[in-house]
Amino acid sequence: MKNRPIVFMLLAGLFCLATACSNPDVIPNFEDTNFSLVNEDGSAVNFPEDFKGQTSVITFIFTHCPDVCPVITANMKNIQSQLADTTGIQFIEISFDPERDTPSVLAKYKKLYKLNEQFSLLTGQPAEVDSLLSKLEITAIKTRVDSLHRDSSEYAMKHSNTIYIMDEEGRIRKEYPANVVPPENVIEDLQKIR
Amino acid sequence: MFSTRLFCLTVFLVTTFLIGCSSGDPEKEPVILGKIELSDGWARPAAQGQSSAVYMSISNGTASRDSISNIASPIAANAGIHETYKGENGIIGMRPAPGQVIPSGEDLYFKPNGLHIMLMKLKEDLAVGDSIDVDITFNRVGTHSIRVPVKVQQ
Repeated sequence: MKNRPIVFMLLAGLFCLATACSNPDVIPNFEDTNFSLVNEDGSAVNFPEDFKGQTSVITFIFTHCPDVCPVITANMKNIQSQLADTTGIQFIEISFDPERDTPSVLAKYKKLYKLNEQFSLLTGQPAEVDSLLSKLEITAIKTRVDSLHRDSSEYAMKHSNTIYIMDEEGRIRKEYPANVVPPENVIEDLQKIR
Repeated sequence: MFSTRLFCLTVFLVTTFLIGCSSGDPEKEPVILGKIELSDGWARPAAQGQSSAVYMSISNGTASRDSISNIASPIAANAGIHETYKGENGIIGMRPAPGQVIPSGEDLYFKPNGLHIMLMKLKEDLAVGDSIDVDITFNRVGTHSIRVPVKVQQ
């Protein structure tokens, strides 16, 4: 009887912990900041403002990436194709490498991988893209492709491996390892969030 | 007198034997049982000047282990083995991984997200539907070539 308050506090603590674990985590927050980018058509885009009102699946790539980024793009396409209903969902790929990934390069990449109109590929001025990546806690560092290469224009990148879900209000809600997450895991969360 | 003749005869015989061993006669080359096979190859599309990745399986059906000493392709200025690795905080990177060894009876897989062949500084565009040649030189069995299609991962 004497222990009842302690037991109650313990149960309350466990309940809070369980609630925190089951709710989608709020990861980075834009705090009303917007970023001026361009899409693959060369049209100006205000990110995330222009994407509010729909649920977004967001990832990060660079088109000179020979191995992992095509896997990530394939995974994004698989998420899209396995969704029973893609209404209200949009897919966004933001380039880590705005110096080389101009809108026309992104347009070629979009065509090559047969990405439909639900996909937006975004780039922009390097400083603006860097600022956005920093806000989203995304890392991208230039590396030499090969130790024998001395040409600084020839570089690869080591980078974050992330897919985010952003809700209709522009809040990042979930995060996944982009190249290995099973599409069904993302789809399950998308159904809850949208 | 007798011992000098015996010494000269011994030197002659040893010299003749050594010359015979190093003559380079193909019939005296070591016999390699079994073979190395390259299969299931494909390459990613990429633009001229960029890099492409090539994937395949290599099966070592010989009686000894072998290792890859060189990779080349007529379409690329440079080629080599790279691997994708996961670093701290989930960062993904790529680094050279030369000298891959394949034990006897085992397979080596080049596949997305792992070991792959990098074709660097492509001399022309690689488009879906093209085919390219890749030459892989092994330390024991020499150079094997494979023609692979260019396609997009689904």
